Amino acid sequence: MDRRELLKMVAAATGGIVIGGEFFLAGCKNPEAGTSGKDFADSDIAFFDEVAETIFPKTSTPGAKEAKVGQFMTVMVNDCYTEDDQKAFRDGKAAINTACDKMHGHDFMKASPEQRKAVLVSFEKEVKDHQEKRREFMKEQDDLEKKAQANGDTNFKRKTMSAHYFTMMKQLTILGYFTSKEGRTGATRYEPVPGKYIGDYDYKKGDKIITSLS
Amino acid sequence: MPDNNTYDAIVVGSGISGGWAAMELCKKGLKTIVLERGRQVEHIKDYPTTNLAPWELLHRNRNTNKLKEDQHIQVRGFCNEANSHFFVNDKEHPYVQKKPYDWIRGYHVGGRSLMWGRQCYRWSDLDFEANARDGHGVDWPIRYKDIAPWYSYVEQFAGISGSKEGLPQLPDGDFLPPMEMNALETHVSESIKQKFTDGRRMIIGRVANLTRGWNGRGPCQYRNLCDRGCPFGGYFSSNSATLPVAASTGNLTLRPHSIVMEVIYDKEKRKAKGVRIIDENTNESIEYFAKIIFLNASTLGSTSILLNSVSDVFPNGMGNSSDQLGRNLMDHHYHVGAGGSYDGLRDKVISGRRPNGIYVARFRNIDEKTKRSDYLRGFGYQGGASRGMNWNGDGIGSELKEQMTEPGDWSFWLGSWGEQLPHPDNRVTLSKTEKDKWGLPQLEIDCEWKENEIAMRKDMMNSAAEMLESGGIKDIYTFNDEKAYPGLCIHEMGTARMGNDPKTSVLNEWNQLHEVKNVFNTDGACMTSSACQNPSITYMALTARAADYAISELKKGNL
Repeated sequence: MDRRELLKMVAAATGGIVIGGEFFLAGCKNPEAGTSGKDFADSDIAFFDEVAETIFPKTSTPGAKEAKVGQFMTVMVNDCYTEDDQKAFRDGKAAINTACDKMHGHDFMKASPEQRKAVLVSFEKEVKDHQEKRREFMKEQDDLEKKAQANGDTNFKRKTMSAHYFTMMKQLTILGYFTSKEGRTGATRYEPVPGKYIGDYDYKKGDKIITSLS
Repeated sequence: MPDNNTYDAIVVGSGISGGWAAMELCKKGLKTIVLERGRQVEHIKDYPTTNLAPWELLHRNRNTNKLKEDQHIQVRGFCNEANSHFFVNDKEHPYVQKKPYDWIRGYHVGGRSLMWGRQCYRWSDLDFEANARDGHGVDWPIRYKDIAPWYSYVEQFAGISGSKEGLPQLPDGDFLPPMEMNALETHVSESIKQKFTDGRRMIIGRVANLTRGWNGRGPCQYRNLCDRGCPFGGYFSSNSATLPVAASTGNLTLRPHSIVMEVIYDKEKRKAKGVRIIDENTNESIEYFAKIIFLNASTLGSTSILLNSVSDVFPNGMGNSSDQLGRNLMDHHYHVGAGGSYDGLRDKVISGRRPNGIYVARFRNIDEKTKRSDYLRGFGYQGGASRGMNWNGDGIGSELKEQMTEPGDWSFWLGSWGEQLPHPDNRVTLSKTEKDKWGLPQLEIDCEWKENEIAMRKDMMNSAAEMLESGGIKDIYTFNDEKAYPGLCIHEMGTARMGNDPKTSVLNEWNQLHEVKNVFNTDGACMTSSACQNPSITYMALTARAADYAISELKKGNL
């Protein structure tokens, strides 16, 4: 698994583009981002740990909580996400609690693992609809940008639409888990210094993927 | 140290060609000073991220908002958390884009030889005769036979792994054992050989990674983290290879933080007498003197220095009576090709991270039979197959986790690298108004893909899909990125082209300025056309050849 491979997979598993990974046009700046959103509390990290653990629970291999994915999420959101995406992510916590309360009569931290899973699974349709809307929105922006370029309009600025907070959480769980020491050494065959290349290495069903430093 | 800042030779720049100039000149006994505009980077000691595990990088090698802002142009290339210290801060090193141009740079000892892609392909007479054949640009003053022994010379030192294929348009070299293709690449390569009658071949990439120990370096450990610098010396860089040999002669002086402002002209002797630098940190201006000067500051760096070297003899830049200095800027156009997945080979995976892929040599416009009516010249392909993770990640929970730790389908990716025609309007000039923080004029870059490149891209994309299809690849997608602007391929070439005629070119057949014979340029600036092969090995060969010539001319008293 190299970096490109992992990002492709993260994108595919969560229906599209890796959030925070968009190419910046030359000269396009985002000076505000990174200065806000530093206000995650320990209780937030504990909450995101449980969301991540629900997505990637402990089995015979380590879970996401053990891999400290909650902490990782807050670092990534603070330092790599745009302000819009930061806000959408933060609002996600309240939305998950509201959904949990509606379904089970108490908030997410008080829920059992099964209840938590039921809450997150219930987002599936909403997430898919949101992704569809976002894809259309971005295509619209592409078209507008092309039109502006054709007309020589240099003032055109693309509008953005945030991804769904659950897409963010799922992406960060997968990325954080497979780049953590616990996930990589515990759930994959980790070869930091392979020493050689074998392009037709025998594989049988059930063997774990082979990973490296990259 | 020689007195009065006087040396036998000055080399400006320590990247892939500057390292070669320094080594060749030092080995032949010349007291040589290398002036590098950036900081020192010592082999191994200054590769801070080379052994970091993914979890030891705070953002797991993703780009932060700060990095995307400070290095907003560099991140369009492949600058990331683990290698960003080898790419310039775009805020500190501005330039003017008259049209979008991505100038990807590394200002430090070793330059981009630390982060380069390491693909090494000889050019052939198909390339050296191209301009003469179709009338674009001027004729190269050399042919393959002039450079062939120098290709061998640099390959034998650098260590290039590859297979001998006997392709006339992609001459074989003095190779270390080739890397191996993986299971799917072998399959697709065989299919292409059988199904296409136009002679196209998919071969293993030729790469400056060492498949066995070589000249005290390597071998490659198959980590594929080359762009962080290699603690095993597994690939060729100035830092691991040429500069240490240059230093071992006792003839090398390396001065980092030395921004060369101009070459100083001696009107009476009609030669250059030295260079003037500004110290990056102290802003002190210092002059250095030598009998010969090698400009290896990278394509646009060397041309900037010459444009800024004005005198009453050369009011438009040193050696620029032809008005060709700054013109005919080229790159390779890429981010075009195809990919797809493969159903079979489920009992095979890959172990190890090969820092190399496959290569498809040019097969268009190589003879009458392959002549195209829609564009001139041609393109090659790089890419490869891999068996990645399982992407079909629906749902959550233990099932998702288990599924993702098992391999998914095999996939194949083919990207094309195309030749750009030399065009006089694709040019760089010095800004009359904008300056950098050292008071030097900023470069203005005015370059775009023109009709021939745009027409070629359609074929580049469709032919990729066609080859993959022939190998049984399914779910084929194609791509042709309109935002892959010139510069992005980091193969910038031209702007001080070689040629036979001083009226239409800047450099002669030995890479000397026609008008100032003791000034040599052997980086990408000297290139008369761009071919479609990765250019670095050609810079190395031209540098070794020019250094050999410079020394023989010095001995004869001609310089």
